[in-house]
Amino acid sequence: MIKVSELGIKFKTKKRQRARMFSFLFDRSHNQQQSSGEFWALRHVSFAVERGETVGLIGRNGSGKSTLLRVIAGVYPPDEGKVSVEGEVSTLFGLGSGFNAELSGRDNIYLDGIMIGMTKNQIDGIIDTIVEFTELQDFIDMPVRTYSTGMRARLGFAIAMHSDKDIVLIDEIMSVGDVAFREKAEAEMNRIIGDSTVLLVSHEMGTIKKFASKVIWLDRGVIAAVGEPEEVIQKYLAAAKVKKPLSR
Amino acid sequence: MIEQVKKVWQKRELLWYIVKLQMKAENKNKLLGFAWSFLDPLLLLIVYIVLVSYIFGRGGPQFPILLFIALLSWRWFTNALTRSVTSVTSKLALVQSVRFPLAILPLSGIIVGFFDWLFGFAILVPMLFIFKASFAVNVLWLPLLLLIQFIGTIGACLIFAVVGTYLSDLGNILQFVIRLGFYLSPIIWIVEDVVPESLFTAYMLLNPFAGLLESYKNVVIRGMAPNEYALWGAAVACIVFLIGLWYFSRNEYKLVKAI
Repeated sequence: MIKVSELGIKFKTKKRQRARMFSFLFDRSHNQQQSSGEFWALRHVSFAVERGETVGLIGRNGSGKSTLLRVIAGVYPPDEGKVSVEGEVSTLFGLGSGFNAELSGRDNIYLDGIMIGMTKNQIDGIIDTIVEFTELQDFIDMPVRTYSTGMRARLGFAIAMHSDKDIVLIDEIMSVGDVAFREKAEAEMNRIIGDSTVLLVSHEMGTIKKFASKVIWLDRGVIAAVGEPEEVIQKYLAAAKVKKPLSR
Repeated sequence: MIEQVKKVWQKRELLWYIVKLQMKAENKNKLLGFAWSFLDPLLLLIVYIVLVSYIFGRGGPQFPILLFIALLSWRWFTNALTRSVTSVTSKLALVQSVRFPLAILPLSGIIVGFFDWLFGFAILVPMLFIFKASFAVNVLWLPLLLLIQFIGTIGACLIFAVVGTYLSDLGNILQFVIRLGFYLSPIIWIVEDVVPESLFTAYMLLNPFAGLLESYKNVVIRGMAPNEYALWGAAVACIVFLIGLWYFSRNEYKLVKAI
């Protein structure tokens, strides 16, 4: 179960960060002040996700979707509010290669697995299934740098799906693969839905509608709407027609 | 701070795996692969032998091995520092994907460097016979010297990992400082030959690494006990370690947002 209340995540400009780096030399109160060198990527975000629920996250580029997933993965500690996550979270490896593009897909699977707390033996047990699922057979021992975006997506998705964690975070992986892979990925999604709690970020409303039982629409770091997929997506699409600048 | 140590210890399997992958990645595209771990220090050694023995006409009969042991230890320290500056930023995708003790990143660089040291030492061993080093039980001090260096390097690398994440300029500054440090430390020369006796104590106190380097030479090649200033080096190493641990612990989770 995931419970987020009044979550705020603040980023600072490089200049402000550099000042903070030496903050221990200065008066504490000096640094607590708000200033123009920072902005809130997320603010006043509250929602709850029940066990086994699949939640879709939608919103324009830069609206804070990925930031929210990172908070749930434990990467960003909240600057404001509270986040409680019960259960183990799978990796968030999306389109980036996790460690080093020189390393093979196989090495990356092991690394990802160990990162999220699996043992080498556990990974040995599922590696064949993952490799088969990715259909990368010949490429699996080649450096990840030789992979296409779609191939990387396959790798990331396969690892997330087979890690058997309570909470699965999927950031825009589904929409990259080819038709054949998408069908497979959808079958796989149907398999885990209900057992695992899933948070799904996508710009494809079709995907969201298909899987999500609830949708959260983020707009410039705040929740614009939460609720029934159809309803929220309607609102989102309607708003998207009225062009707004991306900056806040 | 103790928590930080515990956290890393819990994730030691991950640390070990990252070390292995890092070594693999560094050598993957090279024709000679792991052989470079031996060749690198050897080629460097040749450069300095040419410089000192032939161009300056200095150095004694044991000069190559005295130089080699100091060079290996210096390289371990400075390569670890250089790696630590970019250790967090270069692992962007990893750091932003999953929570883990970030100290593992600079730490893995130090361990990779230690393996380089070991490879280098493997070459040194036959050379010790060729250049007739004096063996004594004192060589048993070696692990302790390595431990002192390891502790101090961890501290320094933890600091550099934080500062380097915020300030990419650190890499440029560091290159210069390392070069300067190389000539200011007893690596291609011996303290007794260069530093006037009146300044000896001041020099050894100002350069805590010097005592350690002279000690390496003492225990491995001269069959002597470590230099007494190794103790000063140990004290500095411990202080740097504690400062590094403290500084890293209070900045760790701010780092993720800094990239």
